Amino acid sequence: MPGPVTLARFARNRFAALSRAWSQVLFQDRSTSPLEFARIGIGAALLLHYALATPNLFDLWGDAGWMPRDVILKTRDPWMQSVFYYFGAPWEWVAFHGLFLACCAAFMVGWRTSWVKWIVLVGQISYDYRNPTLTYGVDWIAASLLFILCIAPVGRALSLDRVRVVRAAMVGDLEARLPPYSSAWAGACILLVQIQMAVLFFYSAISKLESDIWLSGDAVWIMFTTDEYYNRAILDALASHYWLVKLATYGTILVEIAFPFLIWQRDTRPYLLAAAIFLHLQFALLMGLFYFSFLMIMGHMSFVRREWLTRLGAAWKRAMGEMEMIYDGNCGFCVRSMVWFLAFDGLGQIKVRNFRSDPSPIVSDAQMEKALYLTLRDGRALPGFEAYRYVVLRVPGLWWLVPLFYVPVLSGVVGHPLYNWIASHRSLLSSMGSRLAGAPRQQQR
Amino acid sequence: MIWNRWRQHLTYLVMPAFVTWHTLAIVIAPAPNSSELVRTLRAALQPYLTLFRLDNPWNFFAPTIGGAQLRYTLEDGAGAHYTFTPTQQLSWFHPDYIWFRDWHYAIIDNPELYADRAGALLCRKHASLHPVSITLVSYEQGSFTPADQLSGKHPMDPEFIMVNTVKTVECPAP
Repeated sequence: MPGPVTLARFARNRFAALSRAWSQVLFQDRSTSPLEFARIGIGAALLLHYALATPNLFDLWGDAGWMPRDVILKTRDPWMQSVFYYFGAPWEWVAFHGLFLACCAAFMVGWRTSWVKWIVLVGQISYDYRNPTLTYGVDWIAASLLFILCIAPVGRALSLDRVRVVRAAMVGDLEARLPPYSSAWAGACILLVQIQMAVLFFYSAISKLESDIWLSGDAVWIMFTTDEYYNRAILDALASHYWLVKLATYGTILVEIAFPFLIWQRDTRPYLLAAAIFLHLQFALLMGLFYFSFLMIMGHMSFVRREWLTRLGAAWKRAMGEMEMIYDGNCGFCVRSMVWFLAFDGLGQIKVRNFRSDPSPIVSDAQMEKALYLTLRDGRALPGFEAYRYVVLRVPGLWWLVPLFYVPVLSGVVGHPLYNWIASHRSLLSSMGSRLAGAPRQQQR
Repeated sequence: MIWNRWRQHLTYLVMPAFVTWHTLAIVIAPAPNSSELVRTLRAALQPYLTLFRLDNPWNFFAPTIGGAQLRYTLEDGAGAHYTFTPTQQLSWFHPDYIWFRDWHYAIIDNPELYADRAGALLCRKHASLHPVSITLVSYEQGSFTPADQLSGKHPMDPEFIMVNTVKTVECPAP
């Protein structure tokens, strides 16, 4: 007969097994990449959307605007809170709007993400609750996704925050590579976004199934006849081929009802994801719902599988080929610049070589004294500005520099002269940098 | 060491608890209030749903699609009338296309709340015309068939439109 100790051990082992199974099913360690794509997209969309609202700021959300303050304060639920309820002077609206736009930009690029995300959420909720008559589907989805992004550990990849951390690790060793961030909580938050998207589709389908115009198959026809979405060319085509109306109406319901059930399965996910994205592209192109469609697609990013991203990254690296940057390890400024540059190389596409300790078989030391070089697999060696020009287009983290290197006027007037000036003054810049740092910081290998 | 182990246990306790709570909240939010269970759960979840703006119905384009178009007629001191269709000046590519329409729907649906303010803003906007009053009018669309389309008609042609006066707002004397 088993004693109490055996029973306790058995129970503990069972509990541990259950805990492992639970965590494997629900809380796998995941990287935050799917959430980061959503962060970047949502940040950009909010920035553009609310920046365009700036000329109408006081009409849309001001006390003398479309929604009288007394009306909203009389009709609101006590839990509805907006910073605009507490403002009095016009400058407060302008200051908050400016802060909100700055935080949207910071959220998009992932700068100080851990706190700017909360200001973005507070802003979104405040605009919504100050004038609820303006809110529609896109505001529902924006607030719902933002809330999850706020509680999620976003900003750990594809962000300036990540660049800062990687840079700090590389200061001592240019070849140091930080492992990508992953955690069980990131996995849980990805799961929450997925559940949100599934719930949204489910209720959207249910509401359509309770509507006569959707059940009769005429909803798409009615949509394009309304003043809001009227489109002569589309109506002509639909009127001549009315079966297209039925197909589009029932097809929409079918995708929406299938999505919450079939998106979870490995085999069906790609099809459901493609169908949902196709549906939203139609909304954007045929109905002008660009902002809504874009945010929905950002929500769908949560269903992008880790292995798809890994494969995509590997394919990109293969397609772009090997790149080796050869730099002067005795030049402190060059090393510091290289650290900044490499911190944006999230895929690890660029290899580095210090010609002082490891001379290149392709580029001579005399050439290296004059400029930094990039060598490619086919044996080409690109100097200075051309090296950077080649790299910025091929390293996704550096795409933000593309205008500086490729737009003819910018490249000619700013990019090239700036690089040449830096290259010819690198000794001076190195010594200045060392003095500022308080000690010489040269990297010798 | 012991703290780390407990922290891990705590994490595995808190994470599923929060995921369950949030999932329950977003599932209950759009659910119809037809059962006692839903009503009870909603009462508990409502502050959370409202505070974080999660109380969404997700009923895109249902049960109806679109709404009436708002136009307004301005009467000046000499008795002349000018009619405006504000949505005609808007572009699909700018978000104000939707903001203005939503505002117009709110005015048509709840004139007692929003019509006076709308009238006052329009009086100010057209001050150069010396308006005496603004009359807000809704143009509601009726049934428009494929045969109508093929015969060259337009959904906003008078035969498909029902016109209702929403409210006449007197402009303040200059």
